[in-house]
Amino acid sequence: MTTKEVVEILKKGRAYAQRTKYKEAMAYYNKALSLDPKYPESWYLRAAVLIDTGKPQEALADCERALALNQNYADAWSKKALALFNLERFEDAVLAATRASTLNGNDAMAWYIKGVCLDELGRSDEAQEAYGKSLELEIILDMDAERRKIRKQ
Amino acid sequence: MKTEMPLSKPIRRIIRQTEEMLDTEISLLRQPEADPGGTLVDVYTYEMEKNVNVIIFPAQYVGLLKDFIIAKHCTHLLIKGAAHKKGKYLLCSYNEDSVSRGMRQIYIDTLKDEAKKAEKDKLPVNKLIQMLFILYNHFNEDVNEIPWNAIVNASVYHRMSKIRKTQLYHIMKESKNDMDEMVEQEEIIPRRYFVLNKAMFYARDMFLAKTLPADELMPVLNIPQMKKFNHLEVKEMLTHRWTHTAWYQSKVFGDTMLEIVDKHLDKVEWNAPPTLDHYYELYQLGVNLTNHLTSYMTMKDWFVWETPKHLLQAHEMKGEYEKKALKKIFGDLIGDTEGGT
Repeated sequence: MTTKEVVEILKKGRAYAQRTKYKEAMAYYNKALSLDPKYPESWYLRAAVLIDTGKPQEALADCERALALNQNYADAWSKKALALFNLERFEDAVLAATRASTLNGNDAMAWYIKGVCLDELGRSDEAQEAYGKSLELEIILDMDAERRKIRKQ
Repeated sequence: MKTEMPLSKPIRRIIRQTEEMLDTEISLLRQPEADPGGTLVDVYTYEMEKNVNVIIFPAQYVGLLKDFIIAKHCTHLLIKGAAHKKGKYLLCSYNEDSVSRGMRQIYIDTLKDEAKKAEKDKLPVNKLIQMLFILYNHFNEDVNEIPWNAIVNASVYHRMSKIRKTQLYHIMKESKNDMDEMVEQEEIIPRRYFVLNKAMFYARDMFLAKTLPADELMPVLNIPQMKKFNHLEVKEMLTHRWTHTAWYQSKVFGDTMLEIVDKHLDKVEWNAPPTLDHYYELYQLGVNLTNHLTSYMTMKDWFVWETPKHLLQAHEMKGEYEKKALKKIFGDLIGDTEGGT
């Protein structure tokens, strides 16, 4: 099985996940993992579905597998932060979110999770800073989306 | 509410408060094609199988933009729910007679405008006929939205200090979109209605500009597109835009409407304990403000205060109402197949 084929399978799974058809998405992700367990994106995508279906502990394990294969996988760090937040492990979530935002400074979600967790830990000033960064990025993304929409019209 | 999405503390709090106060449930739904301002599908407006209200927001909103949409719709839900629990939740609907009155008035005003136009600029009769209900319906939507938008925004501003910057961005964006509304049709629409439409948005913007102080702005100013507004008050930012629109000479309407909005909302205790009584008071203020604005625009008899169900049924009947109104206005001059946009 080539990486190209795994990528195709993941693409199908992603399409289902986007439509919240998680069962079908999981089937594709599991297939991809059985064919090539060394491909980190499969672990990451499965973690995303596990979070959306309320299984943060399992999602965390999948994130760890993705990160064991690629320590600089920014999205996996971001997802790990989300899993840790859902498990109410706020200190650890801050660390994971910080790593995610260091690897990818444009990850609005990572900054936001960092803000929420810092808030939970009572570190208000730092939380405000993280929220501010998250908002900046969201606004830039939103403006881009608006521009694309106008161009389409 | 059960969600796997990360939510900031104040948002979790307002969702919990809303659910407890109204004895209902809130569900959050991310959708790629959702309206930028989000959508509230609530049990007080729609017939739902379960006692669950759904707040839909664009999928790309992952952080504070999502939080603001949730705060805004929770506040609106509280107002609707309080009205339902303490009295009756009503909104501006229409029926056969009110449509007829509104369309007739628009027709008379259109004729006055058309009389002043050169022959080559006159509106073709079929377009003129089509425009009557479209414009009527447009104002129905506006009067059901603008006063509540001002109230909800003011309430969110006072209650949720942590999302003020996000709110400011939303208001600026919303204001820009609303300002562009109808501009393409400016030459077709009777001047009076173009001006009144803009005046309502102007009044809302100016009211919010007074409500939101400028010191909340800083992180937003890191965005290159917002830099030109540096050191400006929010009021100046919005005025800057309004002074560049075509209708500015007619701003006297907008200023009067702002006085009306101020008169109703200036004395509100926005930080009063968030009880059902408080939100019911906001509902009553919204009703009074809407009445005052429609009176000022001489549209008082265009709409009727009715249940949301009545409005949904009116939407289903709108083709029929339009046809009957056209018959009343034009008599036998209009064919049975005309109308029904």
